[in-house]
Amino acid sequence: MWTKWSDIDRMFNAMDLLQNRMNRLFPDYGGFRGFPAAWDAFQTGPSTNLYDAGDHLEMKVELPCITKDDLNIKVQGNYLEISGSRRSDAPKGYSAHRVERGTASFSRSFTLPSEVDTDKVDAKLANGLLTLTLPKSEAAKPKQIPIN
Amino acid sequence: MSNKTELVKGEKSLPERSRDIPSLAPLVDIYENDDEILLHADMPGVDKKDITVNIDNGKLSLCGVRKIEAAGAVQWEEFGNIEYRRTFSVPQTIDVDKINAELKDGVLRLHLVKSEAAKPKQIEIKAA
Repeated sequence: MWTKWSDIDRMFNAMDLLQNRMNRLFPDYGGFRGFPAAWDAFQTGPSTNLYDAGDHLEMKVELPCITKDDLNIKVQGNYLEISGSRRSDAPKGYSAHRVERGTASFSRSFTLPSEVDTDKVDAKLANGLLTLTLPKSEAAKPKQIPIN
Repeated sequence: MSNKTELVKGEKSLPERSRDIPSLAPLVDIYENDDEILLHADMPGVDKKDITVNIDNGKLSLCGVRKIEAAGAVQWEEFGNIEYRRTFSVPQTIDVDKINAELKDGVLRLHLVKSEAAKPKQIEIKAA
């Protein structure tokens, strides 16, 4: 009995080891990051979510410490580009003890799953979270087919 | 072969808690001048009412819960519901009553004002 237990134990240890190694190789794959990625030169851009709600697409972008003036959003057909820069909000006359929140400019582009009606795109920025509502163009909208 | 490691590690003394959202330490900047210590923490997507700031016995703890509300089928998801949690030790010289916090653009800014006794004082030299 006891040898079996330790075998299981050993198997789990080996699996953990492998998982750790894989995580180190591919830090951005497989779910959420364990620690928020620093805003440094190595990061390609902010994290995004995309949802398909039938007649429109909804995108959410994590943009802390960014005002609407620092942000550029471009849409053309099914191409979306979000770029901007994060400025330092370091106060003057203070000495810094710890600076983890870097400053960086970023640009990220996406190919959306369908064409978008560019005139009706709506962008909202609240609490450091950008919500883009992208209505699909008429041709890309799902249509109910009546059965004769 | 040692059988000392348990297959299931569990704290028997703690009541079981079901935690369905992951916890994450927010990135922070800490600044100081003669009057106060400033703490900036990135908490994108967290609503004001979902943030708690506690100071007790020299420990400052921040907690913010983010709930993402979205309709539709997920195409891709790089972030989700999360609990931002981080604890700091603060010096006893902080005036607890004067701490104030503001939330803007997803950044929590805490002003920890130093008590009068802790502020540096210039000593004037009098001519005898």
